[in-house]
Amino acid sequence: MNSQRIRLWDLPTRLFHWLLVLAVIAAVVSGQVGGSLIDLHGKIGLAIVGLIAFRIVWGFAGSTYARFSQFFPTPARIKCYLKGEWRGLGHNPLGGLSVFTLLFLLAVQVGSGLFANDDIAFAGPLSELIDKALSDRLSGIHELLSNVLITFVVLHIGAVGFHGHVKKDDLVKPMLTGWKEGVSGEPARGGGIIALLVALMIAALAIYGASGSWLPESPPPAAVETPSW
Amino acid sequence: MKTKFLLALIATTLVAGTAVAQVKVEDAIKFRQSGYAFMAWNMGRIKANLEGSYNKDEVIKAANAIQAIANSGMGALYVPGSDKGTGWEATRAKPAIFTDKEKVGKVAMAFNKEANEMAKVAATGDEAAVEAQFGKLGGTCKGCHDDFKAKK
Repeated sequence: MNSQRIRLWDLPTRLFHWLLVLAVIAAVVSGQVGGSLIDLHGKIGLAIVGLIAFRIVWGFAGSTYARFSQFFPTPARIKCYLKGEWRGLGHNPLGGLSVFTLLFLLAVQVGSGLFANDDIAFAGPLSELIDKALSDRLSGIHELLSNVLITFVVLHIGAVGFHGHVKKDDLVKPMLTGWKEGVSGEPARGGGIIALLVALMIAALAIYGASGSWLPESPPPAAVETPSW
Repeated sequence: MKTKFLLALIATTLVAGTAVAQVKVEDAIKFRQSGYAFMAWNMGRIKANLEGSYNKDEVIKAANAIQAIANSGMGALYVPGSDKGTGWEATRAKPAIFTDKEKVGKVAMAFNKEANEMAKVAATGDEAAVEAQFGKLGGTCKGCHDDFKAKK
């Protein structure tokens, strides 16, 4: 029996991953249904802003295998992986490519959403910073990109399924427990409490910035008398 | 006998003719866009009342305005040839509006129903009910936008 295992994914990385799963599902559903859920859709978008900001900081300050430099998909690494010569732990080069692609698409998706409007009664929290025509344009991109994003999520799930069923390498369990079974190597190090606090603080700042709460309040309407007609 | 019949026929044609006064394409698109923009103002008013302090009369005014436009028979503004053209801006009506009449009718009637209901609920002044109905009404706006309004 092979009882070897290493610490692969730290808890913040795992929490990030599964919270993002929930948030993306909720965002897709609330966006498709619309109606009374559209305000919630906006709030979920802000949550995703926070998650992405956290993950970006964690890509520098997190533990070994969560770091971007660890799995940055350079052409040389991808070539090596495609030839079957890659022997690393954590995200393989194609998996790294998938992580960066998904993070990038999500960032563009929430970014456009912050400035979008639905021509009904909802507008993203930063939409007042730009004119309506540009907001409409970004709304179009937001909608188009949602399909691209869903496609990549399906691809991601498909790839994980392929690794589990065909290559007999369960990627889901380590993302749940943090432990990778049957391998030896360097356990994840770093990403301590201070790094975590910094990442959380930057995430909170990002949410604050995206929420538009800092925008100047419009003057109170009571100042002008509304005519009776 | 024959003259009488002819007169009656002419009279009917005249009445029917004036009933569907032909609107120019450019005007039709302008009227359409104006109707939707005016409804957007009123949707925004209801939302502002739900988010801030609730003023029953304001909401009633807004809901009645939306109801009136919903029941104005705006379908008549989708005149032949108005699938393309510019009113206040280039029309964003998708060609499907002019071909998929059954589905358009369905989403339009769904909107009418909820707009009528909105006016009814607004009259009661029940804020929670207005909020729920506002969501439903917005959903029917989206129901049409999704399929029949072109993205920019």
